[in-house]
Amino acid sequence: MKEALRVEWTKLRTVAGTGWLLAAVVLLTVGLGVASSFAVNCSGVGCGQDPAKISLSGIAFGQVVVAVLAVSAVGGEYGTGMIRVTLAAIPRRSTVLVAKAAVVGALVLVAGSAAVLVSVLAGRFILRDNGFTEAHGHAVLSLADGPVLRAAVGSVLYLVLVGLLSLGVATAVRDAAAAIGIVLGLLYLFPIVAAVVSDPDWVERLQRISPMTAGLAVQATTGLDSLPIGPWAGLGVLSLWAAGALSGGGLLLRLRDA
Amino acid sequence: MTATTTPFRSGVQVGRDGFGQLLRAEWTKFRTVRGWVIGLVAAALVTVLIGLFGAAASNISCSGPDGGPCAGMTPPMGPGGVPVHDNFSFAHRSLTGDGSITARMTSLTAVSSSDGQNPVSGLQPWTKAGIIIKESTTPGSQYAALAVTGENGVRMQHNYTGDIAGTLFTRPSWLRLTRSGDTIAGHESADGANWHLVGTVTLPGLPSTVRAGMFAASPQHEVITESFAGASGRSYPTRATAEFDRISLQGGWPDDTWTGEDIGGGPGGDDIGFQESGDGVTVSGSGNIAPIVAGRGGLGTTVESGLVGAFAGLIAIIVVASTFMTSEYRRGLIRTSLSASPRRGRVLAAKAVVLWSVTFVTGLVAASVAVPLARAVQRDKGHFMFTVPTATELRVVIGTAALLAVAAVFSLAVGTVLRRSAGAVSVVIVVMVLPYILAIASVLPSGPSDWLLRVTPAAAFAVQQSLPEYAQVTAAYAPADGYFPLSPSAGFAVLCGYTALALGVATLALRRRDA
Amino acid sequence: MLPSLLAMEATIQVTGLRKRFGSTVALDGMTFTVAPGKVTGFVGPNGAGKSTTMRAILGLDSVEAGQALVGGRPYRSLRHPLRQVGSLLDASALQPSRTGRNHLLWLAHSQGLGARRVDEVVEQVGLASAIRRRAGGYSLGMRQRLGIASALLGDPPVLVLDEPVNGMDPEGIRWMRGFLRSLAAEGRAVLVSSHLMSELQDTADHVVIVGRGKVIADVGVSELIESASGDRVTLRTSARTQAVTVLAGAGATVAVTGADTLTVTGLSGERVVALLGGSAVPFSEVSAHRASLEEAYMELTRDAVEYHAAEIQESAR
Repeated sequence: MKEALRVEWTKLRTVAGTGWLLAAVVLLTVGLGVASSFAVNCSGVGCGQDPAKISLSGIAFGQVVVAVLAVSAVGGEYGTGMIRVTLAAIPRRSTVLVAKAAVVGALVLVAGSAAVLVSVLAGRFILRDNGFTEAHGHAVLSLADGPVLRAAVGSVLYLVLVGLLSLGVATAVRDAAAAIGIVLGLLYLFPIVAAVVSDPDWVERLQRISPMTAGLAVQATTGLDSLPIGPWAGLGVLSLWAAGALSGGGLLLRLRDA
Repeated sequence: MTATTTPFRSGVQVGRDGFGQLLRAEWTKFRTVRGWVIGLVAAALVTVLIGLFGAAASNISCSGPDGGPCAGMTPPMGPGGVPVHDNFSFAHRSLTGDGSITARMTSLTAVSSSDGQNPVSGLQPWTKAGIIIKESTTPGSQYAALAVTGENGVRMQHNYTGDIAGTLFTRPSWLRLTRSGDTIAGHESADGANWHLVGTVTLPGLPSTVRAGMFAASPQHEVITESFAGASGRSYPTRATAEFDRISLQGGWPDDTWTGEDIGGGPGGDDIGFQESGDGVTVSGSGNIAPIVAGRGGLGTTVESGLVGAFAGLIAIIVVASTFMTSEYRRGLIRTSLSASPRRGRVLAAKAVVLWSVTFVTGLVAASVAVPLARAVQRDKGHFMFTVPTATELRVVIGTAALLAVAAVFSLAVGTVLRRSAGAVSVVIVVMVLPYILAIASVLPSGPSDWLLRVTPAAAFAVQQSLPEYAQVTAAYAPADGYFPLSPSAGFAVLCGYTALALGVATLALRRRDA
Repeated sequence: MLPSLLAMEATIQVTGLRKRFGSTVALDGMTFTVAPGKVTGFVGPNGAGKSTTMRAILGLDSVEAGQALVGGRPYRSLRHPLRQVGSLLDASALQPSRTGRNHLLWLAHSQGLGARRVDEVVEQVGLASAIRRRAGGYSLGMRQRLGIASALLGDPPVLVLDEPVNGMDPEGIRWMRGFLRSLAAEGRAVLVSSHLMSELQDTADHVVIVGRGKVIADVGVSELIESASGDRVTLRTSARTQAVTVLAGAGATVAVTGADTLTVTGLSGERVVALLGGSAVPFSEVSAHRASLEEAYMELTRDAVEYHAAEIQESAR
């Protein structure tokens, strides 16, 4: 296992794109978060906005890059036929997948933490200037605040889980382009359908099983009662999706010819 | 050349020359890869299925105090089949043949029965009261009205969608409507002496005897709270009161008195919306005379609601279109392609034409199946449709197919520039699908959403908007309600612009780079 | 038949090609001509610039200076290029999920040719039984045959083939040699690259040997072998001193290469036998040495080989 981890780490480290993609995760996440923070104003008491969620809204953007990173880690091997070399070196296929998941997960964890920290820090100052003040009923954004800390940690975990989901899908379909389409389709399908369906029961049902909507529930720090699903439970839904994709991919990897 | 060598001569017949054979080659390339054909079929299927699911999972319930389902509750239809609000207080008499009515409005006020937490001025921008000539008291019947509004001055409106701005913003306001045959002219005046024509409208087939008089209506006060969790709207009824005097009638007015009536079912009870005192008349009422605007929490469904799955079809098409080019780079096939046709720009053009055609046909089939199917499901559930002219419906269907086709060419160009499938697919999805999601699923507030749908290729989704925005009706008109910031053609042009730009860069890159 | 085709000369003219990738010089004044009716071998060590030259001939890579003409015209100006130049660069450049036949079909369509021509070339290269299978499942040898088939689609007077026997079994290599010879016999110009001179020994009439981006030798195969062999005779004799005296006296250069062996240069084998016989010098064996093409090539490219084995060992340490 230790060798498998080293192998995967070396492979991912020595591909030119990895560093750029990790930098893009941070930049895009922070960028959209900052832009949203600038765009939102709180002019009076009870403006109904969730400052933590605003400052972390860039996650919706960053997750795309995370998906690309994870998909490329697998798709690159199938695209070039290197998967045969890899499996010849480490014949236990589940070990290969677990090692890949661990390395991708760890990288996303690091990049995601950086992105979230900077986003919250930027949001703290920008949102305070935009009227999210104690006078308007908003505490200044701080990680010392329990729910904010939960939103921040949850957002990092969200990114990691999206990475694992992508890794599983890519292993199952063996093609980078198709995998990225499926992952992003899966993430976006539920929110859009939920937005157009008018039966409230269906809306709630869709939101509860949606990897993106349920997963991002972890970012909410206000109006927890109106959430379709609890913050941690929502992240649990995403974990189930990721676990399903990984085990499905692992099973196919074991059953199929390389 | 040595003397012993006989020059080589080919025995193969020469076929046609030109772009046609390149198209044929690319078409052969496309159809002989099963994954791409499957991808297109999948694109059509998800478009239809998601549209159907959206229709099937729609169950409109009235959020009134009863909260019961309002299936079968169909609003009145105006001329041309437009669903309308037609609720107002009306003090009317019969008018037979040609004639006119003149009145002076001295005041227009309104109260809001808001819950007190958010105190609001009762007067809405489009609170309106004035004089009206109406085919009958049946809701949805034809009318022409000259009204003083809360914030928009004097307006001449007719048949729910027509709206002509007057010039008068001061009170008292003198108003006059003159019927002559099917045409009705509206005049305004500040002093009753100098009259200014606001507009002349035609109400085709107006019966000889109509109802005419004073009216008052005030739409609900809408408070929309937007947050990252989505938008929530609350509305409070308002009630307008208008005072008129100096009423003068010309022509055939057989009745001696005004009849007060709440058109379209008012509050009823003791609350009489009409009082006479001397030569003065006071009318007070709630409601609106206007087309119904579609949107969140609205009652009806639109043509484009059956096409909500188009974004999923788009994702599949982006994958197919990007790999149509990136797969050539993956194994060096591009060298074979370019040695077979060294004029590289033409290779890209042939690919683009083939992709455009196959995705257009796919999109057309999907859209023309999805729209009627979703409509049938909605009809079955008793929901009413916002009917639109056939030309509009065709534009929505064909526009969706064209959107998918141009997006395919865009993906092809991005794939040519990046040469990597995962990168190309995700770039196109990020610039085209993500903004749409952020705007439609109300992840972002409407300001940034509007901005995204103006500057990104996702602007092209405007081709799906079937209903116009009405300046005279206050509503959010947010992307989440199905209203796009750009017109259908402008939105589509944005996508075409990006595609042309990407194609230009792709052609340059293809020409400059070693294959 | 188009007039341009009639006028088309079956030649490739490469003049002064220069190209660099970053600081690496890939082509450094590459110049040679490929004549019709012959198989011309294009030989050089890995990295000598063979593939880059071929890509430049086919208009795929741009060059900084010089030009490559096919039948007197730049490739990119050809109307139906595959009817004038057939090429095989990389047999694995295939979409794996497409069948071999469909691969040929789209290529044929791009030249205004039909399915009938596809079936003809498939027959010609002996791939008929596998042609309707996915190309991804082909062995390397089958891919080479498919590549040859695509090069022949337009029945072109000029063929450019990059290592066509790579990955073929001995049977396939024999077939390929005969096939290339028959193509040249029809009057076509055939340029075949290889990094192994021995592969070309029985195929090529002419060789262009390259190293470090330029031509080292441009000669006929028989000429090359003759010049490399020289007049070198190995002699086994027990009377070494006597033999040296006799042969040196006749003007030969004699080198002692063993206890009872001498190597004689400057005299033919027959002459050596006659001289030794005339002087009654005993000898047990006289053998005239004939160089292989490989040796001739090694001789020529010794300086041009980019990566010597020693350097590789050095860097591996």
